[in-house]
Amino acid sequence: MNADSSTAYDRDSAASKGLALCHSCNRVDRVESHHCPRCGASLHLRKPDSLERTIAYAAAAVILYIPANLLPVLRLEAVTGAHQNTIVGGVIEFWQSGDYPVAAIIFVASVMIPILKLFAIAALCVSARTGRFPRAMTRLYRITEFIGRWSMVDVFVVAILVAVVQLGGVLSIHPGPGAISFAAVVVLTIFAAGSFDPRLIWDAAARHETRAS
Amino acid sequence: MRPTGVTTRSLACHDCDALFSAPVMKEGERVICPRCGANLFINRPDSLQRSAAYVVASAVLFFAANIFPFMTLKQEYRSNQMVLFQSVTGLIHQKDYAPLAILVAIFTLIAPTLLILGLLYLLLPLMRRRRLPGAVALCRLVSTARRWQMLDVYLLGVLVSLLKLGKLATLTLGTSFWAFAALIICLSLALGSIDLRELWARIEAAK
Ligand SMILES: [Zn+2]
Repeated sequence: MNADSSTAYDRDSAASKGLALCHSCNRVDRVESHHCPRCGASLHLRKPDSLERTIAYAAAAVILYIPANLLPVLRLEAVTGAHQNTIVGGVIEFWQSGDYPVAAIIFVASVMIPILKLFAIAALCVSARTGRFPRAMTRLYRITEFIGRWSMVDVFVVAILVAVVQLGGVLSIHPGPGAISFAAVVVLTIFAAGSFDPRLIWDAAARHETRAS
Repeated sequence: MRPTGVTTRSLACHDCDALFSAPVMKEGERVICPRCGANLFINRPDSLQRSAAYVVASAVLFFAANIFPFMTLKQEYRSNQMVLFQSVTGLIHQKDYAPLAILVAIFTLIAPTLLILGLLYLLLPLMRRRRLPGAVALCRLVSTARRWQMLDVYLLGVLVSLLKLGKLATLTLGTSFWAFAALIICLSLALGSIDLRELWARIEAAK
């Protein structure tokens, strides 16, 4: 595993010296110890099967993205009549009633972030092969990791509305199947970003440099 | 080739794996990866008391946020009070939505509880340079819990819900909501004033 460490990892990296950063407690130690002497987590030079796992999670998210957007997330029954909301339907409703800031927040959190996140993950996977723009791509990785959780806001809205209107009466609210697919998309993209190892980009960049010179 | 010794000063960037040794730092100074710009480490030797105080405050606020009414809905002549955990139980009562209830429970109840109680268990003994049994395993759990707590996102969800129902019924915010908002501030101050990396160093040094 360490035989080709000088070629597989970039020359300035800890990995090229056989040193691994503990993913749990951030201690740097020799990878031969297998387990971090401080916290006991297993040591790896790079996250194992990082690209494969990232792609698998992202692919599952792409597939579920379709029902997440086609199926209703919320069913609302009022005296004025019953109606269903998809994610985009909710945004349009806020927009039409003049709540532009809320419409914008939901649009960004529920529509734009999941799509941008999936594109970002695709771009990261490509750059882990090509090693292009390592600094910018590493920044993209950090943004991707940070923003994902905010997409969960629509799922919380469903949970809160269902809870607060539980007595029934004139108004009743039920979750729709879209909510489950949507929550699954968000969790899967969080897993996808979490399994990606940005250090692969720097390894690829270093391989490129050696080949060029 | 010179053998590379591993010292406690060795730092590797978690984003680009650049290897360097930590400079001698003053209080409040920050180490930024010279190669990729990642935020690596903040030196805050005096932060323990402060973050312990924030965690204690967070624990009290979290408790308060869970017992008082969170929101009240008024429609016609009836009013309906909602308590924080009902956003989980409300979903359980809906047929087929148990998985969603479990997710919401993890993000808003289980992860925050683990995070707050875990930090209390770690920080209070550390003030006397002690560590209680299981501290190492718990510290790993706390880092995971930190990633999965979504109290801030939930707060945004509350504000959106208010506007969504605004036209059909009257929603008012209860005591719990304000405790909840204060909790988010306290918790982020607690997490901001103690870096997990620093927490590990302290645990290692404690007996
Ligand atoms: Zn770096």
